[in-house]
Amino acid sequence: MKTSNIRNFSIIAHIDHGKSTLADRLIEYTGTLSSREMEAQVLDHMDLERERGITIKAQAVRLSYTAKDGETYMLNLIDTPGHVDFTYEVSRSLAACEGALLIVDAAQGIEAQTLANVYLALDNNLEIITVINKIDLPSADPQRVKQEVEDVIGLDTSDAVLTSAKTGIGIEEVLEAIVKKVPAPQGNEDEPLCALIFDSHFDAYKGVIAYIRVMNGKVKPGMKIKMMATNKVVEVTEVGVFKPNMINVDELGPGHVGFVSGSIKNVKDVRVGDTITDADHPVAQALSGYRKVTPMVYCGLYPVDNSEYDILRDALEKLKLNDASLVFEPETSIALGFGFRCGFLGLLHMEVVQERLEREYDLSLITTAPSVIYKVFKTDGEVFEIENPSKLPTPQEIEHIEEPYVKAMVIIPNDYVGVVMELSQEKRGEFKDMKYLDTTRVMITYHLPLSEIIYDYFDRLKSASRGYASLDYEMVGYRESQLVKLDILLNGEVVDALSIIVHREKAVYRGRLLVEKLKGIIPRQMFEIPIQAAIGNKIIARESVRAMRKDVLAKCYGGDISRKRKLLEKQKQGKKRMKQVGNVEVPQEAFMAILKID
Amino acid sequence: MNIGLYIHIPFCQQKCLYCDFPSYANLDHLYQPYIAALCQEISGLGGVLSGNRIDTIFIGGGTPTLLSTAQLQQLLQQIQSSFIIDQDVEFSIEANPGTVDREKLLVLQAGGVNRISFGIQTFADSLLRSIGRIHSATQAIEAVTMAQQIGFGNINIDLMYGLPGQTTAQLRASILQAVKLNVTHVSAYGLKVEEGTPFAIMEQQGRLLLPEEEDDEAMYELTTKELPEAGFKRYEISNYGKAGYECRHNLKYWRYQPYMGLGAAAHSFWQGERLANTVDVPSYIQRIQSGQLPLESRERPERSIAMAEYVFLALRTVQGLLLQNFNQYFAVDFFQHYDDVVSSLVAKGLIVVTHEQIYLTEIGMKYGNIVFRAFLPD
Repeated sequence: MKTSNIRNFSIIAHIDHGKSTLADRLIEYTGTLSSREMEAQVLDHMDLERERGITIKAQAVRLSYTAKDGETYMLNLIDTPGHVDFTYEVSRSLAACEGALLIVDAAQGIEAQTLANVYLALDNNLEIITVINKIDLPSADPQRVKQEVEDVIGLDTSDAVLTSAKTGIGIEEVLEAIVKKVPAPQGNEDEPLCALIFDSHFDAYKGVIAYIRVMNGKVKPGMKIKMMATNKVVEVTEVGVFKPNMINVDELGPGHVGFVSGSIKNVKDVRVGDTITDADHPVAQALSGYRKVTPMVYCGLYPVDNSEYDILRDALEKLKLNDASLVFEPETSIALGFGFRCGFLGLLHMEVVQERLEREYDLSLITTAPSVIYKVFKTDGEVFEIENPSKLPTPQEIEHIEEPYVKAMVIIPNDYVGVVMELSQEKRGEFKDMKYLDTTRVMITYHLPLSEIIYDYFDRLKSASRGYASLDYEMVGYRESQLVKLDILLNGEVVDALSIIVHREKAVYRGRLLVEKLKGIIPRQMFEIPIQAAIGNKIIARESVRAMRKDVLAKCYGGDISRKRKLLEKQKQGKKRMKQVGNVEVPQEAFMAILKID
Repeated sequence: MNIGLYIHIPFCQQKCLYCDFPSYANLDHLYQPYIAALCQEISGLGGVLSGNRIDTIFIGGGTPTLLSTAQLQQLLQQIQSSFIIDQDVEFSIEANPGTVDREKLLVLQAGGVNRISFGIQTFADSLLRSIGRIHSATQAIEAVTMAQQIGFGNINIDLMYGLPGQTTAQLRASILQAVKLNVTHVSAYGLKVEEGTPFAIMEQQGRLLLPEEEDDEAMYELTTKELPEAGFKRYEISNYGKAGYECRHNLKYWRYQPYMGLGAAAHSFWQGERLANTVDVPSYIQRIQSGQLPLESRERPERSIAMAEYVFLALRTVQGLLLQNFNQYFAVDFFQHYDDVVSSLVAKGLIVVTHEQIYLTEIGMKYGNIVFRAFLPD
């Protein structure tokens, strides 16, 4: 097909604004899948994605559409993850396109996440088609939302498409707009191969499958290709396209979106954002925008049952086959034994990985509270990073500590400006900007410590604004903070896995909340258990769990032993799995208590 | 082989509010047919057990002494004529102080009974009423004294603590009363609210005012302290006896020795198998009459479960588990089998291990279920 008949686009939308439904309608309308093959939200493969209504990995699908002008077009839809954790992945998916559909809910208007992604699309010079969706809702107000898009983003919405993906209104108009407005890709098939990797997945038979957008040149089986960031060279065994199932083709040329495979064993060799070129005739320069993805959030993962350590390691390795952004290394905790310190792009990424480990590998895990990466400047001049609070040196050795800050953008109805500012202030935020999106909605910008965001900022924001707030953030760098390590002692012993780093002024308050919370979680045992919070040697809060009640069967009446035995068996089964920490048995959730204090 | 016999009488004048044992009120019309059926079962078993010697007998209930003097006589005669009974037999019967008189006691004595276990629970009249007992404290004292006068030298009193509204002082008074009566044995049970009992319903409705946790605990401590001080040695979690008066029949349960149960709801442990008769009285009678076995269940616990049972039963006794006996019974080395469990329980201070035995510590007695559960297979 001629390059001039290709259109590459992605969809930008806030969660629940109808991205997946619209994608389904496009697939259906173009007959790419028969209705028998259609499954709601075709592109969200993982169970988790369907359940949570989110997209975690990018997907692509090729649609064939015969437009009103009589020409048949190849439309490549690249579906992107819609969460702040995956901003980099989104930016790479966008870089593979010439256009984007901006879907905005006709009742709710623009949200912070949408805004962030629109700016990413504009950065990539994408043509943006505004789609006002859910116009069938009684509360829909497309006029107001259009105005908002104009005022806030500065897009011309005079030709915005009005749709209801649910009921099928406006689908053809969307397709026509894509054909007419999204520029055809440029590119020359005679130049050396240059293709962008925007995602990958691991296939047990074929190895790593790289999702690519060809910029120049051609790629076909038998060719030797090179990944420019990793210098990995492989021979291509298959190339193909997504319909959305993988279909092999002879070659992919300029403007095409598809996949290549070539017995690549390690997903690390196929990095999102990297450039694929012809190993024999390489391009001089890789595509711009590639960066190595680094985790923002770390936590410890430990099997409840120590004997499951190997299973956990294997499971992490398997997940990593498909997820290059997941990092982990072995770690030992005095309290929890052998486990792994794992790094994630963000909290959602962390939760998804945990959930998959427990679900797909049937593991019972203890997760320690997530931590950011702190920079520690020691008095002896040494500087190092820690991602595990228990690794913080003693106060005497520390000159100062720096923590990561983010620029957080919050969009809320103006009634909630007061509470959001109060909350942000409490979370050590620094006010940066406030701007009215329309007469009722406001965008507030703060600089906030990332640690406060991963602690409970978003949950508190949501509840303070009755669910109306949306949040997006990006890293702005490190700053010095007055931070201390807060230790928790159970029965007089520090439990390393419960240590957290907090701001000095909040330490007492957090310590108190935490011991109270733990008191409610740690079951009564054979002896009284003091629970203390301490900074260094100073105890700042204390509670205790009383010794448990007498627990013994009074009699075995008339020789009925079976009944007593069955009772004991039932009790044994009802026992929660606990982690033995010193003399104390601690349930799994205690280690996450730190996160959910209020 | 020496064997224990348990005979169940599933009748009560009225159910106590805490009781979940298989026993029924208002079945007077079944007493006679039941005794007839029971005697038939006894007679049949006599044939099976010929060649074995009976060295303990326990008639329990329910309330065995609710039966008429004639019925009891019939039962005792049947027992005597059906088995080879050891000269030194321990022959117990449970009695409710509200259901005995001199004549009945004499018949029991003549029938071979040499130990009476009185269900008294407390000597506080207000408590007796509130837990649904049919007798008064005075009746209890009179019954015990009468039995002693007739010549019963071996008498047990059941006491309870942790009753609704019970104070530590009331418990102490009851213990002192038992001591003063100069009985040979005391069983002291903590009240447990069992599912399906009136107490369970009352608890659910918030109408059962159980003692505060501290008080309940204090009563337990009081029992374990005062009874031994008065010469009743604690030899099992809930049982105290003067020297030589430990209940030999109950010891058979804890020592994994064989016993045969007769009557509705009775349990047997015979050749490694656990058997139970039906709890339904009419169906028990009907099945005996039609020549069927009245069994409701029989199972041979698999080896790992049998071992666990052996251990948790033995650990109920103060003497604990004798390693040699266990190793011999199962032809296995105890420590090899329970290495991890034992070391973890020792570390927690719940059990003590010597060359010959393992036994519960004081803390272990209090939290026995933790120990017992640990030996059950996962």
